Amino acid sequence: MEQFAIYLHENFFYQAPLWMIKAAVQVGFASIVLLLFVSPFAGILSFIERRIAGRMQDRIGPNRVGPQGILQFLADGVKSLLKEDLIPKDADKPLFILAPYLVFLGMFTTFVALPFSSKLIVADLNVGILYIFATSSLTVVGLVMAGWGSGSKWSMLGGMRSAAQVISYEIPAGLAALTVLLLTGSLSMQAIIKAQGAHPWQWFIFDNPFTLISFFILFIALIAEGNRTPFDLPEAESELVSGYNTEYSGMRFVFFFFAEWANLYIIGAIMTTLFLGGWQIPQSLYNASAAVANWFPQVVQLLFFQIKALVLIFIVVQLRWTLPRIRMDQLMSLCWKYLVPIGFFCVMGVAVWMLLFPQGVPWMRTFLTILAGITLVYYFYRVYYQIKASNAEIQLNPFV
Amino acid sequence: MAIQTQEMMLNMGPQHPSTHGVIRFVVKTDGEVMSEAIPDVGYLHRSIEKIGEICDFNGFMPYTDRADYLSAMNANQGYAMVVEKLMKIEVPRRAEYLRIIASEFNRIISHLLAVGALAMDVGAATPFLHALKEREKVNDLMEALCGQRLTYNYVRIGGVSYDMPPGFTEQSLSFLDKFEPIMQEFERLVSDNKIFVERVANVGAISREDAIAYNLVGPNLRASGVDWDLRRDMPYSIYPELDFKVCVGRGEKGTLGDCYDRYIVRIREILESVKILRQCFIQIPEGPTLADMPKSLKPPIGEAYVRTESSRGDIGYYLISDGSTHAFRLRIRTGSFTGMSIIQKISQGMMIADLVALIASLDVVAPEIDR
Amino acid sequence: MSAVAAYFQNIKEATASIFEGLSITLSHMIRKPVTIQYPDKTAKPVSEMMPERSRSWLRVEMDTCTACLMCETSCPIDCIKITTEKDSPVGRAMSQFDIDMAKCMYCGLCTEPCPTGAIHFVPEFERAAYSLEEMISRFIPEGNYVVPYKPPKKEKLEETPPASTEAPLQS
Repeated sequence: MEQFAIYLHENFFYQAPLWMIKAAVQVGFASIVLLLFVSPFAGILSFIERRIAGRMQDRIGPNRVGPQGILQFLADGVKSLLKEDLIPKDADKPLFILAPYLVFLGMFTTFVALPFSSKLIVADLNVGILYIFATSSLTVVGLVMAGWGSGSKWSMLGGMRSAAQVISYEIPAGLAALTVLLLTGSLSMQAIIKAQGAHPWQWFIFDNPFTLISFFILFIALIAEGNRTPFDLPEAESELVSGYNTEYSGMRFVFFFFAEWANLYIIGAIMTTLFLGGWQIPQSLYNASAAVANWFPQVVQLLFFQIKALVLIFIVVQLRWTLPRIRMDQLMSLCWKYLVPIGFFCVMGVAVWMLLFPQGVPWMRTFLTILAGITLVYYFYRVYYQIKASNAEIQLNPFV
Repeated sequence: MAIQTQEMMLNMGPQHPSTHGVIRFVVKTDGEVMSEAIPDVGYLHRSIEKIGEICDFNGFMPYTDRADYLSAMNANQGYAMVVEKLMKIEVPRRAEYLRIIASEFNRIISHLLAVGALAMDVGAATPFLHALKEREKVNDLMEALCGQRLTYNYVRIGGVSYDMPPGFTEQSLSFLDKFEPIMQEFERLVSDNKIFVERVANVGAISREDAIAYNLVGPNLRASGVDWDLRRDMPYSIYPELDFKVCVGRGEKGTLGDCYDRYIVRIREILESVKILRQCFIQIPEGPTLADMPKSLKPPIGEAYVRTESSRGDIGYYLISDGSTHAFRLRIRTGSFTGMSIIQKISQGMMIADLVALIASLDVVAPEIDR
Repeated sequence: MSAVAAYFQNIKEATASIFEGLSITLSHMIRKPVTIQYPDKTAKPVSEMMPERSRSWLRVEMDTCTACLMCETSCPIDCIKITTEKDSPVGRAMSQFDIDMAKCMYCGLCTEPCPTGAIHFVPEFERAAYSLEEMISRFIPEGNYVVPYKPPKKEKLEETPPASTEAPLQS
């Protein structure tokens, strides 16, 4: 990389200082890697979501393009590329053109600070979690711009809704993240993960009852920030036609959807990092994998991280295809009457908890873990009951 | 200095995902809160009443399918009954039973679509598809019975076109056995859902007086607490011999006559229809399915009016005959039109999201409004 | 007090109903999908899955058509067009029997009065076309004549119907 910068300096940009070219090359390289790394996430997640939604609705979902339809997102992308790029006559042209890129940027810069394994992270910023919250709220600027710039009343309503929604839900999200920050004493994503352990009872979610509640607060707040059902009011297909992206077509439209699915992954990754122990793997597994190859533990850690994130993504998708959309006033009352007060209560609770039990309470961790286990067992019993009650035919095979 | 605000005029429809057809609303809003929504009907006017004067009596039957395509059997039956009343034709018993079986199946699938679309319009897509999955099964049964899935054209003047195909009773009963648990599951998924209840309860409440004054009919009227069902109170066909309950809204989760009541009345009517169907399959007599009809239908000079309880409420046919093979005047009175007229009054001060729920809960069908 | 109770009641109800909803949708994940993968991945062709009475495309068996025009008169939208000529080269014959399937509304009223069952539905519905002209089914090729079938008298019903007499026009 350094030689490439020197080569550029000597042959093309000899007027510019070398350090500037070096920086430019690094940024360019990083963004290409990031884009290549992140894009398949969004694409494959869109495929997974459609398949899951299909099976939940007793249908199949896309299964024609490529094996099992996994290339569907490529086909959709190519189709969108070839479509006419339409700009409405009444649109505010610069804003209309800029908006999708801002949304895109807001989502993708977040990936810089996501810790995929103990070494696989682009930049372990010392303000990691703050950075993530800051950049992801950049999207709201893009959404409002899209809503206003389209010159359509439906889009404007969608843009206004998204502004009100995203800004409101930043507060409970911040409060819920604060409980973890209190426990860790650091904003760095790696430090947060290192403060947890590999086993469920070592995770922050089961540290004390207050973190358990703030897990759910953060989860709800992040779903709301990502504009997903039951909080998809800015898009609200049945009310606002398609909200802020009504007037978009072609590749610009794809950018919005790309950002939506990238955000889906970010929700999973943030929750995993803060509450579910991130990439932590048991020491024995670490030693065993280190015996295979030097880099192999990193792969195992990445795998653990992805599995946790995917489980959370699955729940987000499932929520989307289960729940109706809530109304604007209910959205606000949920935020300000429920999430924010409970969030404050949790922050205070964690602070008091830390004051009273500086070493933590092992029996409480065990109790909460067992409670979660019982809930899970009851959940699967309910699933069994639903199938039994409606005499349904079973097909476990996810492929068709 | 006070901030200047302006009311925004929104044009909702004719192409909008949740207007259920080609209906337009002129919505005056201040942000999220509407001051008024004025329905603008007429985009789907196809002069079906005039066609009734051009076609002969048998030939108009397929057009009644199109007047209310979601409960075509009921519309068929009403038209057949008005001609029979004028010509004083006695319909064979078996044909009457077949008509009721078809109508009640049709009521089930029409209400399934209504509750599914309400869930869809408040944002839950999955219940809609679960409802549609069941609807498809009934459509298969209907296709076996009369050959078509949506526009049945099953009822004939003087009877029905076909007898039941072999195995129809067994298939229908096995469907009904499987259908009831699925409806219970649908209720667990939708009716009890807190977000759904919050979205539809206390929204668009129509008082008893308003419902009568605006001439609401069918489930919309019953949801407002008026205990009126043509099948029981002005019985026709074989309904006096059947045992069923009239479902009336009670304001369980909020005010009387709100969207939740209209929803739950439809859910309960589905289950009542299942009961009626089971009775019909037990009681159905043997016999011919079509009365002896003259080769060309020439009703005597006179007029007749027949009301039947369709899934969208009272569907009335008024027929004047001048003794020829064509009707002199045909008028269709439908429930969706009156349901549409109340929207302007109820929608004042609502939110945009509530308007969508209100339209879906009234279960209006565009071709039935405009004919 | 009641306001506080309602507050927690709301949280409880929301949690319980969302939990129940999630269990239902998860149970649907492992149920058998009902999709019929039309047209290529079905166990048998869809036209064979349709019931006997299914109303799709109309076909006329010209062998048994009596040219009684019952179907033409009963059609509510006049999509059937039959022309008979008295002094054709083969005597009284039909020179045109067109059904405009683009107009047809599949009501089945034409099949009911047909005395011989010549006009009937076939379980076939795939016939997309690029022009309305292609949607017209012409049962008599242009320039041909078809002599109407004369149903045998009641006592002769046992006999087989005669073969069609399709005479090409000499020009």
